[in-house]
Amino acid sequence: MLEINSLTTSFGSVVALDGVSMSVQESKITTVIGANGAGKSTLLRTISGLEHPAKGSITWDGKSIIGWKPEDVVRAGIAHVPEGHAVISELSVEENINMGSLFRRRVNKKDVAAALEETYHLFPRLQERRKQLAGTLSGGERQMLAISRALVSRPKLLLLDEPSLGLAPLVVEQIIDCVNTLCRSTGLTVLLVEQNANTALGVADHGVLLALGKVVADRPAAELKADSSLRAAYLGY
Amino acid sequence: MDTFLAALFSGTSRGAIYALVALGLVIVWRGAGVVNFAQMGQAMFSTYIASALIQNGNSYWVGFFVALFAGSILGALLDILIMRPLSNKKKTELLSSESMRAAVPVIASLGILGALQALAGIIWAAEERGFPAPAPQEGFSVASSIMPFTSFDLFVISIVAATLVMTTLFFKRTGVGLAMRATALNQEVARLSGIRTNFTRALSWAISGAASSLAGLLITPTSNLSPNTLDLVLIIGFTAAVVGGLDSPAGAVLGGFILGLVISFVTFYLSPEDVFISILGVLLVVLIVKPRGILGGKDARRV
Ligand SMILES: Nc1ncnc2c1ncn2[C@@H]1O[C@H](COP(=O)(O)OP(=O)(O)OP(=O)(O)O)[C@@H](O)[C@H]1O
Ligand SMILES: [Mg+2]
Repeated sequence: MLEINSLTTSFGSVVALDGVSMSVQESKITTVIGANGAGKSTLLRTISGLEHPAKGSITWDGKSIIGWKPEDVVRAGIAHVPEGHAVISELSVEENINMGSLFRRRVNKKDVAAALEETYHLFPRLQERRKQLAGTLSGGERQMLAISRALVSRPKLLLLDEPSLGLAPLVVEQIIDCVNTLCRSTGLTVLLVEQNANTALGVADHGVLLALGKVVADRPAAELKADSSLRAAYLGY
Repeated sequence: MDTFLAALFSGTSRGAIYALVALGLVIVWRGAGVVNFAQMGQAMFSTYIASALIQNGNSYWVGFFVALFAGSILGALLDILIMRPLSNKKKTELLSSESMRAAVPVIASLGILGALQALAGIIWAAEERGFPAPAPQEGFSVASSIMPFTSFDLFVISIVAATLVMTTLFFKRTGVGLAMRATALNQEVARLSGIRTNFTRALSWAISGAASSLAGLLITPTSNLSPNTLDLVLIIGFTAAVVGGLDSPAGAVLGGFILGLVISFVTFYLSPEDVFISILGVLLVVLIVKPRGILGGKDARRV
């Protein structure tokens, strides 16, 4: 459902993505792994319209979304949870969540309320803290909040950038479990970026290994996980 | 006691107007990242529109509401036609340093101020003219004793209070208000949430334009109208915003009232000549004690 072809994104003389081609299958979890600076975040940011590619194409549901504004990409069903627990500290938990459904509150008011209830069901800790400022949350809670904000936009594709960043293993497992359950039960498509390759490949259907802006492997996740020589060469363990 | 009450009332009504000016500045600063020096030029322009309408036989209220409407349209147009193209990343890449890029909108706003003042001078001639008040400006009399405040003061205080309540409710309770706060706080997250930040930015210019036009309409009855009359109001309003905290709408309002009262008490008890030095004093004390303003920088961010 998402097709990427020879995508190139540069920052001045730094070429962060160098002719990346890959695809994301509907209702599957695809993970992109790679070392620091491999270009994983840039890939997601280019898909969601935050960065403009120099070359290449991105096709979503048969339409090219190159040059679209981020606000239009979300409205087309691609929600991006950027790196680093991106929430707005000065707004309350509930305001942070509601932000994600503002654009469709006039079209389908009932569903907006239902989506809020569903996220509270998914992350009860957020409901307990709904009036609190997001800045007072723990790292794990903030990540849950950022994911909730993305989910209430009712995306077909969820772009997750390193949800495990800076979190304790138990919390990471909890968050990854949630995403996995969502994908399997509702048919949500997920593009998961991770440095934590084992965790990501453990839940994913498909894995893409990125190194210095290039795709070096594109295989079923289990196969990639078993390939210790690739891991040693590109991830260093 | 009478002097005290008179100073208190006149200070509160002046302070209410400065609060509006400061609020207008803070809304554009937070919503669009620009310190808008053209703001009172916009207000002057819409007050002239009201004045022209009233002189042509329309009622005060027609002039009043048309001016508010014109003020908000002018604000939005300045953003869409001038500020938005100037903030275009690709075009400003020529300017190498971040600080030079940040200076562009400020210089543009000064240019707009000059242009609006020149234009008003050309259209309406540069000499001062009076501007009517909708309520008497003589002391209010109750049972034959004259009160230390005027009906116009009461009018100003109540209309500003109503505006502040409405603005607060708008920002806190409506979806568009939430979208505007989100844009002001974190543009990237706002856009990723589907918020059209071009729209919210133009809307902050429009709301600020309406608020400052209201300030212009309320202050000119006591100071006459000319292309430059509101310059001083901008300086005081800007000081009020800095005193209260440029990041905080509530702080701006607080700062406005503080400055109004300080100016009024200094005028009544000392002399009008001491007003400037006392404003400077307030500014210095606040900046030394709380460099980000009384309510500024009180965010809950944990790093
Ligand atoms: N805004 C930017 N300006 C300049 N260079 C950038 C910018 N963003 C990313 N880069 C560069 O692009 C390359 C890829 O960065 P990117 O953030 O995509 O890596 P990543 O794979 O997400 O790394 P990490 O795992 O550390 O998050 C890096 O060399 C980085 O320095
Ligand atoms: Mg990254």
